[in-house]
Amino acid sequence: MAKNPTVHRIALLFNGNKIFDREIISGIGEYISSTRASWDLYLEEDFRCRPQGIERWAGHGIIADFDDPVTTAALEGVQLPVVAIGGSYADPSQYPANRPYVATDNYKMVKLAYDHLIEAGLQHFALYSLPESPCNRWAQERERIFTDLTGADGITGHIYRGVGTSAQSWDAAVEQQIEWVRSLPKPVGIIAVTDARARQLLQACLFAGIAVPEQVALIGIDNDPLARVLTRIPLSSVIQGSVEMGRTAAHLLHQMLHGARFPDTRIMVPPVGINVLASSRHEVRNHPHVMQALHFIRQYACQGIKTDQVADYVGISRSSLEWYFRRELGRSVHDEILRFKLEAAKRMLEQAGSHAAEIAVSCGFTTVQYLHAVFKRELGCTPREYQEQFAAGLERSAAPSAPAVRTKKKTTGPSLLTTTK
Amino acid sequence: MTHFTLSHTTSADGIRLYTLRNHTGMRVTISDLGATMVNWWAPDRYSREADVLLGFERVEQYAHNPAYFGAIVGRWGNRIAGGRFELDGVAHQVDCNEGQNHLHGGREGFHAQRWQVQPDPEGLRLMLVSPAGQAGFPGTVMASVLYRLDDEGQLRIDYTATSDAATPINLTSHAYFNLNGGTSDIRDHIIAIEADGYLQVDAKLIPEGRADVAGSAFDFRQPAPIGPRLDWPDPQLKLAGGFDHCYCLRSEHEPQPGQSRVAQTLREVASVYEPGSGRELRVSTTETGLQFYSGNFLSGVQGRGEQPYAIHDGFCLEAQSYPDQVNTSLREAVILRPGQVYRQTTVYRLGVRD
Repeated sequence: MAKNPTVHRIALLFNGNKIFDREIISGIGEYISSTRASWDLYLEEDFRCRPQGIERWAGHGIIADFDDPVTTAALEGVQLPVVAIGGSYADPSQYPANRPYVATDNYKMVKLAYDHLIEAGLQHFALYSLPESPCNRWAQERERIFTDLTGADGITGHIYRGVGTSAQSWDAAVEQQIEWVRSLPKPVGIIAVTDARARQLLQACLFAGIAVPEQVALIGIDNDPLARVLTRIPLSSVIQGSVEMGRTAAHLLHQMLHGARFPDTRIMVPPVGINVLASSRHEVRNHPHVMQALHFIRQYACQGIKTDQVADYVGISRSSLEWYFRRELGRSVHDEILRFKLEAAKRMLEQAGSHAAEIAVSCGFTTVQYLHAVFKRELGCTPREYQEQFAAGLERSAAPSAPAVRTKKKTTGPSLLTTTK
Repeated sequence: MTHFTLSHTTSADGIRLYTLRNHTGMRVTISDLGATMVNWWAPDRYSREADVLLGFERVEQYAHNPAYFGAIVGRWGNRIAGGRFELDGVAHQVDCNEGQNHLHGGREGFHAQRWQVQPDPEGLRLMLVSPAGQAGFPGTVMASVLYRLDDEGQLRIDYTATSDAATPINLTSHAYFNLNGGTSDIRDHIIAIEADGYLQVDAKLIPEGRADVAGSAFDFRQPAPIGPRLDWPDPQLKLAGGFDHCYCLRSEHEPQPGQSRVAQTLREVASVYEPGSGRELRVSTTETGLQFYSGNFLSGVQGRGEQPYAIHDGFCLEAQSYPDQVNTSLREAVILRPGQVYRQTTVYRLGVRD
């Protein structure tokens, strides 16, 4: 009879309410399922980390978030194999002694975001951080890196920590955020140390009528889907290598359960990508009237706005606005609104299970017939055909995961939408 | 359909450098010395071009190319243990140019030969006659390589070869890529390889046997950054100073002992993504093996930059048969006999992922 493999009891000490921690846990899960390792995982059922008393726990190994000082302290004297996970630090004394450590590379994340903003054509830079706390040493590390990077380029990098979130004082906090953004030279590229921070700032900009990305190009860190759905302008973000961190930590622990020891091993995991969306698509300077108009269109196109409302918002006549649009973008205001609605409709169709009727309403097309007509004219297919083609395309490019490659679109002039009206 | 224009320049030594250009402005240059890919200018996510290949500044420098930059290697790509093999009962000894191993066709390999360019409406066709006895191999081999570049950013390489006597054959492209154009090394590149197994090597880098990738640093069935994997504690990585291993690609026709060569259906087998530039390389091939080499021996090699290359400044994905396959039970699959035609196709596709 085949002997059952030894079952190891492994504790995962993470705060699974955060996307970063959840992805690490999924990386650990992926590793386990790819091997014959038989691990009995111990996690708090509400995914909150409560490490007190862990030293009395009768298990075989631990993977833990060492950015959390409570966890670090609780594991101080623990003799079981422990793999530490956390941020990278320039100062080696920030790492726990005699523990293998798998780090998200803070330097490379900030550098990726910074380079992206430079490439988007920005010349002023700022960082929106967090109030200093023992729980977010990584935020101060990201500040330090940002200061080094801008300093090396001979630029002043503006840093703002703001305040922690609290419902009572939130209005005042937003006022302060707006004041800070207003005080910055424009256009400015702002890196937020997390997507949650980026979302706050984006909301403050919209509230204050500061155009994103024309005046403020914004990028966060985490690529948190929740932060994306909560913002009216899709948020760009750096994607951490957290899944790979989980696989790496699981691999190290797996070896340690069989006697290997890695007291000095530190593995830095770089970011795996950057999700470039509208919040950082800073375009080559258009006329301020056009920028303001685009800002308005991006927010309200799907609510069925008309050219007159855009002109009202900008505060110039309809004919002047049309003239600026023709000159700068080579298309009419109406076409720009339609283009935005069409993109929004395409994005919705790309989600499985969406229906044309809902989409027509939520993208400001008033009727399904009109949505149909626009699709036929602009894309040469019906919404349903578009959805089928997209699904078929996904299937073809399913492996090896990740979004499908798009070869660079030819940038030959304006789109089909430049119909003369 | 292939749309391209072809032009060339000639160096003082008479070496010709050909340029394939597609309608999007992408350019690949290929030298007739070694049928070598010299440059590949490709756009990043902001449409800015960079050369994503490693190599030398001047075409003459490829006359001494110990790193095999961009070359077509043959007639035997990769290693043969001791440079020895037996074919139809006759023992052969070929050039040992890497310690006791034969590597990449030896000193007189295809990479060191001047190829003849033949007119071809499809692309750039290069031909080579490799006489019997060259580097110690039996049989005169006629080899042909056709490079085609299309508007999708695909560089397709079609190899054919015939021989007048039985000979081992294993052709591949030894292009080194760095998708950020050389602004930093390849550690942050994210690679995926469609393989469940790879060949573990001994201290001389000769395969000893197949191992599952599962649970090891070699598992790239899900995309993973190269750098952290190089830091995973793994005796195989220690032996080779990084990745220099052949992956056993998922294949429709698994090679069988005694069976002659069966080319696989052309299928995508690997992809590499560079987050900073957004560039992505995808590799498709008809081969069963894919050597992943992480540029472990690049340190100090003076290329076209001001500074010499450093370790892990480039990577290669060499589609081929297995290393030393001529000394295994699968040897018949790498023997080219008179009357047979060896065919292999590999496609490198460069694009941008947003």
